[in-house]
Amino acid sequence: MLKFFKNRFFWALLLVIVISLVVMNLTAAQRSNITFVEKIIRDTYVPLQSGVSSFRSNWDRRTAVFNDKSQLQQQIKLLEEKNNQLALENQALQEYKQESFRLHKMLNFYNANRENYDLLPAHLIARSPNNWYESITIGRGSRQGVQKGMPVISPSGLVGRVESVSENSAQVSLITDREMAVGAIIQRTRETNGIVEGLGDSDQLRMINIPYYSKINEGDRIVSSGLSTIYPPGINIGTVTEVTPEPNGLLLTAMIKPAVDFNKLEEVFVITSYHPVEVFEEEEE
Amino acid sequence: MRILVLILLPWLAIFLQSTIFSFLSIKGTTPDLVLVFVTFFALFNTAEKGSGYAFFCGLLEDLYMGRFIGLNALSKGLTAYIVGRVQGNVFKENLFVGVFAVLIATALNYLFLFLISIVVFDVFHIDTGMLHHILYQAVYNTIVAIPLYIWYFYSSNRGVLRTSGRVK
Repeated sequence: MLKFFKNRFFWALLLVIVISLVVMNLTAAQRSNITFVEKIIRDTYVPLQSGVSSFRSNWDRRTAVFNDKSQLQQQIKLLEEKNNQLALENQALQEYKQESFRLHKMLNFYNANRENYDLLPAHLIARSPNNWYESITIGRGSRQGVQKGMPVISPSGLVGRVESVSENSAQVSLITDREMAVGAIIQRTRETNGIVEGLGDSDQLRMINIPYYSKINEGDRIVSSGLSTIYPPGINIGTVTEVTPEPNGLLLTAMIKPAVDFNKLEEVFVITSYHPVEVFEEEEE
Repeated sequence: MRILVLILLPWLAIFLQSTIFSFLSIKGTTPDLVLVFVTFFALFNTAEKGSGYAFFCGLLEDLYMGRFIGLNALSKGLTAYIVGRVQGNVFKENLFVGVFAVLIATALNYLFLFLISIVVFDVFHIDTGMLHHILYQAVYNTIVAIPLYIWYFYSSNRGVLRTSGRVK
């Protein structure tokens, strides 16, 4: 037994465990900024991640023409050879049309909201490397004016919040992350204040703290209440899919289908003019 | 050269997990390539070296994520230590050994993550969604471990990861 305690590896291991637990505890809370080392590590990934992201976009655009090969074969039977060429060309144009439609939608959204908040468009360059966190990395960082705590939205609805920023990238915690909570109301009645929390699942959210007398129904749209001071009010969060009473009978819980399809997210907007209160509080401290 | 490759492996694993594998996710679950490499390293080295390397790899992942720094480092370090402790008793030429080690390591890693979360944060919320993630990841890790183990085994014997000419 004593021999075991004389083992240098044992003491080194114990020291490492204790230091790790302390650092873990310190970094569990919201930090005003990430360290220099974290910024360096994250920025080493940005060029390659941006490269993969743009390669994938180009690849999708090119392969879309060939993906519908079977459809084209049916058309060959129906149309002349001349039409066949046009059909193929049309496939390519369809993809550009889709892209144009998406960008047009984003532009409309940008124009409609620019009086309310300043929006900074950003491209998604990477996703969380593990299943522990629900987060994305965007190709805009402190150099482009992104700050920690800024809300992130898409034309479909609320995406999340900037968690940490490096020079050329920012990590965004999605609202589906287990640690995220958003103050929310039912858009139809505007009477119920609840909290929408993430479940670590990109297809589901949970709304808690709903009073038992609430007139919440399946299909109701849930929007941000603005009471959380982090997110602007009225941003679409999702649609109610199921309402169940809590065991105590005083509250209800609702399952929400997010408005944003997080698996297909490609472009987002960072609300740069809307600063959360908690960041200032932290700085004042 | 060996050191450089060992440093680049977790870096590359994080890069692949955050880009290519995020698009190839199975029900939102991506494989933990860092854990796969860490398991292989522990399998071909001692428990001490394995845990040290795993700690470094986990720390790199934690620093990239910027949250709960030390969580992955510690869980992977402890997982690799256990794998390293039993590596002397297994027949590493068998592909099944490497693949099975990854399966066990995935379960151990999650077990340590839960235990550390309970110690540091008092409570850990576990639900069926999380259990599904663990199950999918165990399967995914095991599948990607098959080609990676073949590469790692040959690299450790005759390739770039060779130390003294043969496996210890």
